[in-house]
Amino acid sequence: MSRFFRQAGDSDSESEESDDELMSSGDEEAPQRPVISTTAKPAMSRFLRTADSDSSSSESDEDSDSDSDAGPTRSGLPTHDDSEDEDGDDVDAPGARIKSATERRLDEMKATGKGMENALKINDWVAISNEFDKLVRLIQRQHNLSEPVPPFYVRTLVGLESSLSIAVAKEKEAKKKMNATNAKALTAVKQKVKKAIKEYEQDVKRFQEDPEAFEREYSVVIAHGAPTSASGRRSNITGSDNETIDDFTTVGKGGKVLQFTSEGIFKNLQAVQEARGKKNTDRAEQIRILEKLLEVAITPYQQIRVLLALISSRFDYNSSVATHMPVELWLSAQHEVDQLVSIVASDSNYSIQEVTDDYDELIERTPITENGVVWIRGSIISFIDRLDDEFTRSLQNIDPHGTEYVDRLKDEKVLYCTICRAQAFYEKTRQGDPLGRVIMRRLEHIYSKPNTVVQALEAGAEASEILSNMTLSIQGTSSALIHALCVYLYKAGNPLLRTRAMLSHIYHHALHNDFHTARDMLLMSHLQESIHSADVATQILYNRTVVQLGLCAFRSGLIKEAQATLQDIFTTQRVKELLAQGVHQQRFQILTPEQEKAEKQRQLPFHMHINTELLEAAFLVSSMLVEIPLLASIDSEEMKRKTISKPFRRLLDFADRQVFTGPPESTRDHIMQASKALQDGEWEECRDLIQSIKIWSLMPEAVAVKEMLAKRIQEQGLRTYLFTYAPHYSTLSISLLSRTFSLPLRTVTSIVSKMIWTEELSASLDQSGGVVVFHRIELSRTQQLAQIVADKVAAMVDQSEKALDIKMGGTGGWGERGDGTKGDKRGEQTQERRGRGERTRGTRGARGGRGARFSQGLGNQMPGQITQRAG
Amino acid sequence: MAEHDLTKTIIPYLDRHLSLPLLTHLVDFSIFPVEEVQVAQYELAKGTNMFDYAVDLFERVHPDEEVPAEFEGKRQNAVSTHERLQQEAQAVLDVIENPDVAQALRQDKNQNLQYLKDNYNLTLEQITALYNFGQFQYSYGNYSGAADYLYHFRVLSTDNDLNTSAHWGKLASDILTGRWEVALEELNTLRDAIDSRSSASVPGHSAAATEPALIQLHSRTWVLHWSLFVYFNHPQGRTLLLETFLSPSYLNTIQTSCPWILRYLATAAILSRKSSSSPSSAAAPVSARVRHAIREVVKVIQMEEYQFQDPVTSFLKELYIEFDFEAAQRELTLAEKVIGNDFFLGEFREEFLDNARYLISEAYCRIHQKIDIGDLSERLNLSRDEGEKWIVNLIRETRMGADAKIDLEKNVIEINRPPLPIYQTVIEKTRGLALRTQALGAAVARTGQQGGGGSGVAKNEIQAPAVAVN
Repeated sequence: MSRFFRQAGDSDSESEESDDELMSSGDEEAPQRPVISTTAKPAMSRFLRTADSDSSSSESDEDSDSDSDAGPTRSGLPTHDDSEDEDGDDVDAPGARIKSATERRLDEMKATGKGMENALKINDWVAISNEFDKLVRLIQRQHNLSEPVPPFYVRTLVGLESSLSIAVAKEKEAKKKMNATNAKALTAVKQKVKKAIKEYEQDVKRFQEDPEAFEREYSVVIAHGAPTSASGRRSNITGSDNETIDDFTTVGKGGKVLQFTSEGIFKNLQAVQEARGKKNTDRAEQIRILEKLLEVAITPYQQIRVLLALISSRFDYNSSVATHMPVELWLSAQHEVDQLVSIVASDSNYSIQEVTDDYDELIERTPITENGVVWIRGSIISFIDRLDDEFTRSLQNIDPHGTEYVDRLKDEKVLYCTICRAQAFYEKTRQGDPLGRVIMRRLEHIYSKPNTVVQALEAGAEASEILSNMTLSIQGTSSALIHALCVYLYKAGNPLLRTRAMLSHIYHHALHNDFHTARDMLLMSHLQESIHSADVATQILYNRTVVQLGLCAFRSGLIKEAQATLQDIFTTQRVKELLAQGVHQQRFQILTPEQEKAEKQRQLPFHMHINTELLEAAFLVSSMLVEIPLLASIDSEEMKRKTISKPFRRLLDFADRQVFTGPPESTRDHIMQASKALQDGEWEECRDLIQSIKIWSLMPEAVAVKEMLAKRIQEQGLRTYLFTYAPHYSTLSISLLSRTFSLPLRTVTSIVSKMIWTEELSASLDQSGGVVVFHRIELSRTQQLAQIVADKVAAMVDQSEKALDIKMGGTGGWGERGDGTKGDKRGEQTQERRGRGERTRGTRGARGGRGARFSQGLGNQMPGQITQRAG
Repeated sequence: MAEHDLTKTIIPYLDRHLSLPLLTHLVDFSIFPVEEVQVAQYELAKGTNMFDYAVDLFERVHPDEEVPAEFEGKRQNAVSTHERLQQEAQAVLDVIENPDVAQALRQDKNQNLQYLKDNYNLTLEQITALYNFGQFQYSYGNYSGAADYLYHFRVLSTDNDLNTSAHWGKLASDILTGRWEVALEELNTLRDAIDSRSSASVPGHSAAATEPALIQLHSRTWVLHWSLFVYFNHPQGRTLLLETFLSPSYLNTIQTSCPWILRYLATAAILSRKSSSSPSSAAAPVSARVRHAIREVVKVIQMEEYQFQDPVTSFLKELYIEFDFEAAQRELTLAEKVIGNDFFLGEFREEFLDNARYLISEAYCRIHQKIDIGDLSERLNLSRDEGEKWIVNLIRETRMGADAKIDLEKNVIEINRPPLPIYQTVIEKTRGLALRTQALGAAVARTGQQGGGGSGVAKNEIQAPAVAVN
């Protein structure tokens, strides 16, 4: 059994070796394919050297020098090795004189050592580098089997280091440099040796102090090692009967039997940890080992250590970024994080910290040995982060229309529980920074959800044994819960988290139709100004928030606000991309795979999406309600260029150009036909068309929204009618209007009065007759032109003043005074005639301005950041 | 009526002493049960050093109970404190009142301090005694004395915090003694102090800057509330109120922390109408802000509708946003009562009603061509005869006089406003363009000279008023 395994293992390692060699040869370009044979080496390099014959003399000098230097340290080594080897062999396998695996490895090592020595003599650093690599690999394998490092290795290291330093010094002095490959290899070896020495710093030190003692120690360890492993094997067979019913033993790679006892935990743990990240470690195997270890772990310290290792190895399972973690693995990781949190939370003597003092990984530590709290290196918060990220990633990768997605979504509940537990734990231990992060995670799970879902999530979370002081039952409503979470983050002082919390809070308010609060918060946060410099994820959140705010305004019947808010994002024509709900197809440039990958990673999982069709319907309908009366009020071509909603206007123009119009199919068709009906004063048809749009059913309180829309259509229909037909009437009965638009008399009067007051309509009311009297003045062509010229000249002066202001830095005395006089004069002018019309226009302008900046900024920002990422 | 009473909302933003008059007012108007108000009064007075007043109130609240003995002890205590503080303060006062010293004092506070220290051995601690004594006097109701001492203290002290505190104290004392001129002056300096602090705060440290910003918001809220006393008592107050409250920073403060102030703002805007439209006010030029006050206020009211609403604001809303004259009239009747009951606005009830009627009829006339007098009178809550008189006056006074005619036979007003001739609009639009261009040219020339010519600057300054006049 074991033999079979061993063979497999060996062949495995061999193939790996050759692999490596292939790689290395590829790397170095030099013709040194037959690296395995050390004898071939010198010949090769000699050949190389002849190429630069000038340097030969100086180099040979070097050679001899280094030889003589290396000589003393090296002399007599082989004998030591040999004798010791003999010893080791004796102890290791007293029964049979078959070379054991350990032995063979040792022999191999020695062979490489020899090769190195030879190469050193001729100053061939390329060969040394290769040999050294091999040696390191061997040692590594030794490690994987958790055998002690043979002193031979340490000795070689020390020797190599000293000869290196000499060689480097020589190199500096020498007139003729080494050839390029050789020099490169020299530096490479230098780096490697340095690294290796650092790794085995302690051993090296001990060796330097007393080489002989060090070797003795090793032989003792080896002597002890074998019997224990043997006995361990035996005990394992007897001990782990329940799992391995027959004589099956758990066998590690390389045929070594692994023992899972609580005493050996740390050793095994270390072995696993060292194998982590290596090329040919079997990750599944590692996880299995750790699971076994967890079963035998007794003390909390052991449990924590094993759990830490286990969870991270679970996350390691998938190395590629593109795919997601298998669901079973995720679930067990989630379970283990829970376990970890509850262990740490229940025993305050153990604390997991990201930064701790160094401690020996191999000994058991208890609160008693540590005089108080035992600090363990690790980070729960990063596990939570990773868990959450993996969850999102799996949702991104699963087809959202299948049942698998729904099943996966059910796991959110347990994840939420875990996050809540972690929050409670951090609250208890008062760790501010991770607490902020974990609260943010929690917030992100609930801010965009309706109340019922939050309640369901919270119900699950409240079942856990440790409770945070922010729960739904304590706070009462989900809004209060979110408020509490956000307030904590506001106070915590991390600017990124604060921004995100603020946006989530606004989003939540908007979701619950609290438009005014949401709007005030957004405006007071001044995020519009700084959002361009935020990271992409936050920008996406910002976009989502703004869009949700627009929808909220729409639901609350604030059509103008909805239009203005949604306009920003729709003019970019990249709604899906800006909301991270789909990758935009660029027409003129092709994304590199990296960019595409980054883009994909940013996508929101499907259940978080804001329905873009609904969004578009809301935007177009509100645009219709704003734009159609405006269109009707404009009579000259000149004014027609002033548009409020470009996307809408474009669609309308397109619809106008069509010769035939069939019955409406899509949402857009509906809205376009409704707009035309509204233009003709057919408000009932318009209403029916709008109300028959199917997508409204996705909107909460759809019925109320439809009613609201009907009312708005009536009002705007009246306005449009008045604008369109005013030139053709001299008086119009109010009661007729009221009947036509089925509005109460009072509302009609109010609307007409408003239009008169704002001077949109040149008319007045005749109270006794109950009619609207229109005063229409026909402008002659000359008059019209004169007016236009006057406007343009005024605009020009304004422009020049502005230009001068900018040139003078805006703070000059001229600018101030100019403003003052301008303001005065214009004030007088407008007060007389314009009345309140100017005001509304003013605010609208400001809105539009900000909007333009918003869309522009975002549009530019996104690709910029993408390229940055890619670079 | 109780639901529209703001006393409860306002009191948290007032000083203990300042809220006493408010409560007294409540007692007089009996909106709330008198007993409850008296209890509140007593609770307030208990915290001050005005023991006689407190005892008096106590007896009124609990007529059949013994006055608690603690008052006597406190009184003793207060008297002794008074003596001690007075002695301390007197020493400083003696020095300051010396004419030599008064002459030697300069603008520079540090220098003054040095001078006093050198010549009269006065230290900062002694000067602080002035503050302590002033504060103590205030606490037992001797407001004019407190104002004096705090004034002297402020002249001498360099301590910023205490100075601010002294500012507030002085303002409160002036308000309570009813010296509105002085109080107004004090209010203005205080406002400057608060506004200037923002620029002094360190930029860049966003975390640190939030604190001062918050403090500033609080101070501004307080100023808004305290200034109500001044503005509704000072003859020029309403205009000044509009000026202050409509400035962006204070408007923001109202919107964020105390939307109920909108009632006072709206009232002031309505009250200011007459003064701005009548020719007599031409002597005192009013800024554009005041002239367009109503427009501004309506905008704010519309925006904050979800936060605060009362009859006064809804009156403006119905009139200028909904153009629902019936509703406006309804709200006006309510608003009249609210204003009559309000502590600050009580005495402006008549004026308010008058102005509100003007506003209604102005809007009404602008929209209508033919108005039935009876109908308009009804809108204004007036009888037919009164209405007619009122309308005649209105036509005579306002600028629509030329356009409107009363037809008594049919009992209607006919308003005939000829549309503005087109050439006039063109003239209006282009008016001043030449001068503006000239100013532009001058400015360009000046940049060309790099500010070398003093004459250029002078010329510009001459031009400036010319442009303004035009």
